[in-house]
Amino acid sequence: MEGFEPKIVAFCCKWCSYAAADLAGTSRLKIKPNFVVIRTMCSSRVDPEFILQAFLNGADGVLVAGCHPGDCHYVNGNYKTLRRVMLLKKVLEQLGIDPRRLRLEWIAASESRKFVVTIRKFVDELKQLGPLRLEAGDDNGSNG
Amino acid sequence: MKIFYYPGCTLKTQARNFECSAMEVMKLLGYELVELNRWNCCGTVYSLASDDLIHKVAPIRNLVRVKEQGGDKVVTLCAMCYNTLKQANVFFNSDQEARDKINSFMDTEIDYEGDVEVLHLLTVLRDEVGFDNISKKVVRKLNHIKVAPYYGCLLLRPSTVAIDDAENPSIMEELLHALGVETIDFPYRNECCGTYNTVSAVDLVIDRTYRIVGLARNLGADVIVTSCPLCQFNLEVRQKDVKERFPEFEQLPVIYFTQLMGVALGVPTERLGFELNHIKPKVLMEL
Amino acid sequence: MEPRIGVFVCHCGINIASTVDVKRVVEAIKGYPGVVHAEDYVYMCSDPGQELIRSRIKEKKLNGVVVAACSPTLHEATFRNTVSQVGLNPYRCEIANIREHCSWIHTDRDKATEKAIKIVKSIVEKVKLNDELLPISIPITKRALVIGGGIAGIQAALDIANAGYEVILVEKNPSIGGHMAQLSETFPTLDCAQCILTPKMVEVGQHPNIKLYNYAEVEDLSGYVGNFKVKIRLKASYVDWSKCVGCGVCMEKCPTKVPSEFEMGLTTRKAIYVPFPQAVPNKPVIDRENCLYFKTGKCRICEKVCTFGAIKFDEQDEFVEEEVGAIIVATGYELYPIEKIGEYGGGKYKDVINGLQFERLLSASGPTGGGVQRPSDRKVPKRVAFVSCVGSRDPELHKPYCSKVCCMYLTKHAMLYKHRVPDGEPIVFYIDIRSDGKGYEEFVQRAQEEEHVTYIRGKVSKIYEDNGELVLLAVDTLTGEPLEVRVDMVVLGMAIVPSPAVYELAKKLKIQIDANGFLTEAHPKLRPVETLTPGIFLAGCAHAPKDIPDTVAQASAAASKVLEMFSQKELQHDPMVATVDEDRCSGCGVCVTLCPYGAREIEVKDGKRVAKVNEAKCEGCGSCIAGCPAGACQQRNLKDEQLVNMVKAVLE
Repeated sequence: MEGFEPKIVAFCCKWCSYAAADLAGTSRLKIKPNFVVIRTMCSSRVDPEFILQAFLNGADGVLVAGCHPGDCHYVNGNYKTLRRVMLLKKVLEQLGIDPRRLRLEWIAASESRKFVVTIRKFVDELKQLGPLRLEAGDDNGSNG
Repeated sequence: MKIFYYPGCTLKTQARNFECSAMEVMKLLGYELVELNRWNCCGTVYSLASDDLIHKVAPIRNLVRVKEQGGDKVVTLCAMCYNTLKQANVFFNSDQEARDKINSFMDTEIDYEGDVEVLHLLTVLRDEVGFDNISKKVVRKLNHIKVAPYYGCLLLRPSTVAIDDAENPSIMEELLHALGVETIDFPYRNECCGTYNTVSAVDLVIDRTYRIVGLARNLGADVIVTSCPLCQFNLEVRQKDVKERFPEFEQLPVIYFTQLMGVALGVPTERLGFELNHIKPKVLMEL
Repeated sequence: MEPRIGVFVCHCGINIASTVDVKRVVEAIKGYPGVVHAEDYVYMCSDPGQELIRSRIKEKKLNGVVVAACSPTLHEATFRNTVSQVGLNPYRCEIANIREHCSWIHTDRDKATEKAIKIVKSIVEKVKLNDELLPISIPITKRALVIGGGIAGIQAALDIANAGYEVILVEKNPSIGGHMAQLSETFPTLDCAQCILTPKMVEVGQHPNIKLYNYAEVEDLSGYVGNFKVKIRLKASYVDWSKCVGCGVCMEKCPTKVPSEFEMGLTTRKAIYVPFPQAVPNKPVIDRENCLYFKTGKCRICEKVCTFGAIKFDEQDEFVEEEVGAIIVATGYELYPIEKIGEYGGGKYKDVINGLQFERLLSASGPTGGGVQRPSDRKVPKRVAFVSCVGSRDPELHKPYCSKVCCMYLTKHAMLYKHRVPDGEPIVFYIDIRSDGKGYEEFVQRAQEEEHVTYIRGKVSKIYEDNGELVLLAVDTLTGEPLEVRVDMVVLGMAIVPSPAVYELAKKLKIQIDANGFLTEAHPKLRPVETLTPGIFLAGCAHAPKDIPDTVAQASAAASKVLEMFSQKELQHDPMVATVDEDRCSGCGVCVTLCPYGAREIEVKDGKRVAKVNEAKCEGCGSCIAGCPAGACQQRNLKDEQLVNMVKAVLE
């Protein structure tokens, strides 16, 4: 898998994780450019459909990031996200996509370092998993 | 009804009176305490020395014995044994890694699953026998006797193993009231007796005994009742030393709650092991 | 609308340009579908930069703008304002964040440039489908509801009323005044609490803009910011206050004595009573629980002696409805019950009392006329122990937090005790002394050095009674010595806990409470007096333990937030709310259960169940949209289609 650079779509909520990514920039922390952030108001706006679309269109991994449990700007949106992501991971397994390709993280606005580490670890893990191959099933996954 | 009973070392030596009175009382209440086969030291001396895992093996092995002999709960009399076995059990159930290691320390035994319930006799009396039922079996009137209930620490601390509210316990008072005796409001009932300092720092224990027994007497108690052989030893045997230091000090008998139960329920006094008590509870023996 | 989008790429000096090849971004985006113009500039947010955008909109007839620059948090508002100056709807302008999310965090120029292009493309996709929106306008009822008539509620109500707006003040007790009315003197100035509070209470009672509902509780709340409807229960007082002149004969003749709440049980009141002489309003109520007539069917002495015919035993609870635009919750605190502290006797020792009881003993209007006498035998105590952190800072058994005022009021107590009993010996037991207010540390030092109050650092492990004295067991942690201290009386600095009714109230108001039962603020630093529910504010100890100056400051802050709202003609609300495609909606109601704001409801329209959105209540989180099984819900300018297109754009 030499030279493989995974593509990541990162859905970040406006209030916590998007702000953490901003802070990573302001603090000039360095991250690999394997990801692009898409901003939603709340992580609970992320329809599982968007995640499947990302995989269909060539993403090797999808990150959903929200506020910590109990800190949601919209009272409890992140709990809904948690339930949806848990369920979707099971669906991914059925579809032959390694559920590790979908990551849910709670990143507070102050946690720029956590944002960086999350991306770094995700990139490393996806490198281990290799590129997502949809037609043949995700051969590199644990259930492949 | 049969309940597995774990005695521990002291119940076979110094505290034989605790054991024999408990056996008598439980028989009267329709229960048989079946002594566990092949029990070993509860492990207390070790577990206080350090928190190394190997020291949990002794108590856990005792719980394995209960399983081997077809039981799922075990009752203790000694508060120290209760505390050690129960703490080991709680620890075992809270740490998967420790659990595997402890099991692998034991070659010949079956693996322990953490499913034996460790009980103290007081809770058995409350939850299984029922204080109301005990009350119905009382044959001797003891309402002229004032008792100072003494819990010590091992039944109440830490909170993970406590049989009652550590700061404001009531289980012993409830039992004593069921027996028809009056209890004093005894603020030192959950203070430390000095424990093993009795070996290395006798003065400290003498001071504790002086305070605890002295206050019980000041508050009008005729007898102190306890459930821990170490407390019983410190509070009773050390009274001789207290007397040497404070000649005005008046002694007070210190007995096990089972002995008082025996008297109330009509067990002949000679079967309650009072010969092992250094200070005789005359008020109970002359009924 | 055929998209005619202009993309403006900012260098941000070298902040972007050093890592991202902005020229390449411009070139790459030029041919992208929908983009009719692209150019770069060194500082897009500068005046010439903004002018550039404005002129290009006119020249190229742009109907959408993407500014590729810093985070939208910084300049989204700036550029939306820029485009609206030349007639473009501000919601047709979006920011592509190529600084914080790209140039600043990457080093490889080639890859950073590629990523910047993807980011810009995704934002172009968003703008393509952005609708022209207008902020939603909501009318405001310019009347406020204040719940709780302690010092917080009084201050907030007066501030709003003095600004010229009507205030509804609801107090559950017969009188306003709260706990402050019980205090003797206040730290660190030793001002008489009643002297400074009573005039404010009277002002509330007489203020033309304040409608006071005492002996009343909030029953129900509906509506939303600017337009609340509140239902208030007026508890039956069995006294017609319009007829009562407050002569007090009924109270004199009533045969039933009950422990007085105001006097903290140190003395009694009658079953028909006014809680304290300075009460506002100064009209009695009959305590139904204890009234002999209600208990036995006989008595009615008060009725016989009332020459004004004000007693009416047949009165029932009544309900009133009020419309308000904003709400301030100021429900205050209680003391943690002494019964929970077994090691201090759990309430069985008469001479172990709490801080409010000692306030009453010190108060000139209290049961002892301000002379310190211990409750059991009315002797003047010669040694008094003051114990701090009782139930506070004890995460294992009681409350984890610091109750904030105990260090100071126990110091004040020790000092005032010394003033009343000059040969008395006050001993304060503490863990740390927290004296973080203006003049507070000086006050503690004065107690220690000038008033000779003994301070012992150590927590008391046990209190018991022996021979008419109280014995305290403790350790002096500075010397390591175990102590046995004998005193005549003990004052416990009990933890401050929220008023128990706040839990039910919070549910009715749909505001959050924290793990300890205190109300949660919208942001601990920057929005300390707002709740997450728009239009509902908080003040005082309902939010967290605090002293009087902090409470008054917070109450005024909450009032000014309300006035900020009332100073506007209408409320503006972000238009990025949920929408419903009624043809697709099956009326299943999933959205209703998902909405944390009660903004979604089901309506029957032409015999068909359809979901509705209350735009004023919708905060735009989007969780209902992702949850809609029919795809019937969308979010304005963050539609599914937009997000999917954005995903595709970044993966191209």
